Amino acid sequence: MKSDELVLALFPYVDQFLSCLRTLKDRGYSIARVFSPVRLPEMQDIVTPKPSVTRAFTLLGGIIGGTGLVGLACYAHLRFKLIVWGKPILPWIPWVVVAFEGTILFASLFAFVSWVFKSGLPQPGTDAGYETAFSGSKFGILVSVASDRTAEVERLLKEEGAEEVRIGAA
Amino acid sequence: MPEIEPDLDVKFEDVDRQVLGTLWRPSLVFWFVAFLLFLGFSYGLAAWGYLVATGMGSTGLRPPGVMWGIFLGNFVFWIGLAHSGTLISAILYLFRARFRTSINRSAEAMTMICIMMAASYPLIHLGRSWIFYWLFPYPDQRQIWPDFISPLMFDFLAVSTYFTVSLIFWYTGLVPDLAIIRDRTVGLGRRIYGYFALGWTGSASQWHHYATSYLLIAGLATALVISVHTVVSWDFALPIQPGWHSTIFPPYFVAGAIHSGLAMVLTLLVPMRRIFGIQNIITNRTLELIAETTLLTGGILGYSYVIEHFMAWYSANVFEHQTFVFRATGYYAWIFWLVVFCAIICPLFFFFRGIRTSPIWLFVISILINIGMWWERFVIVIQSLAQNYLPYQWGFYWPNWVELAWTLATFCFLLLAFMLFAKFLPSVPIAEVKKEAGMPMHKGGLYREE
Repeated sequence: MKSDELVLALFPYVDQFLSCLRTLKDRGYSIARVFSPVRLPEMQDIVTPKPSVTRAFTLLGGIIGGTGLVGLACYAHLRFKLIVWGKPILPWIPWVVVAFEGTILFASLFAFVSWVFKSGLPQPGTDAGYETAFSGSKFGILVSVASDRTAEVERLLKEEGAEEVRIGAA
Repeated sequence: MPEIEPDLDVKFEDVDRQVLGTLWRPSLVFWFVAFLLFLGFSYGLAAWGYLVATGMGSTGLRPPGVMWGIFLGNFVFWIGLAHSGTLISAILYLFRARFRTSINRSAEAMTMICIMMAASYPLIHLGRSWIFYWLFPYPDQRQIWPDFISPLMFDFLAVSTYFTVSLIFWYTGLVPDLAIIRDRTVGLGRRIYGYFALGWTGSASQWHHYATSYLLIAGLATALVISVHTVVSWDFALPIQPGWHSTIFPPYFVAGAIHSGLAMVLTLLVPMRRIFGIQNIITNRTLELIAETTLLTGGILGYSYVIEHFMAWYSANVFEHQTFVFRATGYYAWIFWLVVFCAIICPLFFFFRGIRTSPIWLFVISILINIGMWWERFVIVIQSLAQNYLPYQWGFYWPNWVELAWTLATFCFLLLAFMLFAKFLPSVPIAEVKKEAGMPMHKGGLYREE
């Protein structure tokens, strides 16, 4: 049985990096991880085409926050019936403010927590194959490949513009 | 046609070096100035301690007339300053205004500092500020719950939500930059920055979730930035007080808040970019665009002043009419005309390109706008109360040393905290600036616009 090997390629140019990413995807190679110092929508289109699940979590947070805070207001007003200027015990119109603030607060908290956890953070170290150059000016692709095909992948990566290719990067 | 300067004039590979170069080794002058500011802040803390020990009678407030003094005027002022950060970060992000890229981090930091300072004022004004936690809705042994229809409760919810969301937004934007610093430091610095970088590596998966959440939080913060000062304006618009009870207050407050906030951004950025030598990142063009936005907000504010006076006359309400005549001709009239000059007339000089592209003029006019906007809150809060319905309530208020000491302290804290921020955290969002600086291309043509 052939074991899998990790091959890391460093790219200085974004167009070559994206082109290589497309080629690898088209040819069915297993892309273990992709690194970029900046956010690239094209990279996301290729590697993570599905919308992020953080959207759903944010919506959920908004619903919980809005209804939760109004629920708390209802409980508080029913528990302690303070009649102000003859207004009703449960004054729904001013509570639009309460609902709004609760919605925004919890939606934001859920949006933050969801992106952190869905990104695999916080983590004590860094991801396998990570190089400090990836937070600088280099782009990286980590390919998982059967050990007998590493030479083929190395050649492909170099043809696509990688300035450096490392085998066994993990 | 005059040539338009670019928003950025820096190469992709130089961004790290230049921005990180602003962080290391604070000079002796830096620590000396920081110490002076700390002394100013400590003086204010001592004054607050004196106020706690002696009670609210040690302020310039005197019943039955003006019972809302500069503590609440300052609250509105600081909340207003806080608006520009979210405006620049969130609203301009949604509008894809690229000039925001180089300044959003500083503006966000300013926002957070300003919210902290703003929150201190209602706490002091409560009188017994050490039991502020009674505002929290929780079942204690007294079985008394806060009233959820009180503007004080609205304020509490709005300000705490605004601070939390601003903090989340600021920190989310900071994470990739903290990873950059982590990778370029050693020892304790690496551990501290690494801890807050959460293990960020810039993988495709991380960028994917990050970008979606950042956009969503920007959208949420946009709604919030409009709402916060609207809620603050209701503190005034809900009572049937002449000079306050007006439906124009929410948009008027929001415009004024953004106006003062943009001016404060100019006040802080003009010297900062010179000290750090980052004029090629925060360019004259960026400052010019802020000045142009100030023209817009100043126009809205001037229009609001005119409408306020017009409605006081047109409504035929004798109390409203009297309040606004008093505003323009009474014993606080000099303050009103100072506000008109500083906040409305001075920004009009930005119509001249030579002035709005000159950092010195921008700095001078931004300070004048801030002076005007501080006094504007004095006019709204204090002048409106100085001549109320009943003559027995009429009075003259002037802040005493306790109130002025804490006011000074909050300005010192703003400058101190901003200096520390600019020295220990990247004041320019590195990852975002890199993206705008132009990607390194071999042939080009692949990168698409978002």
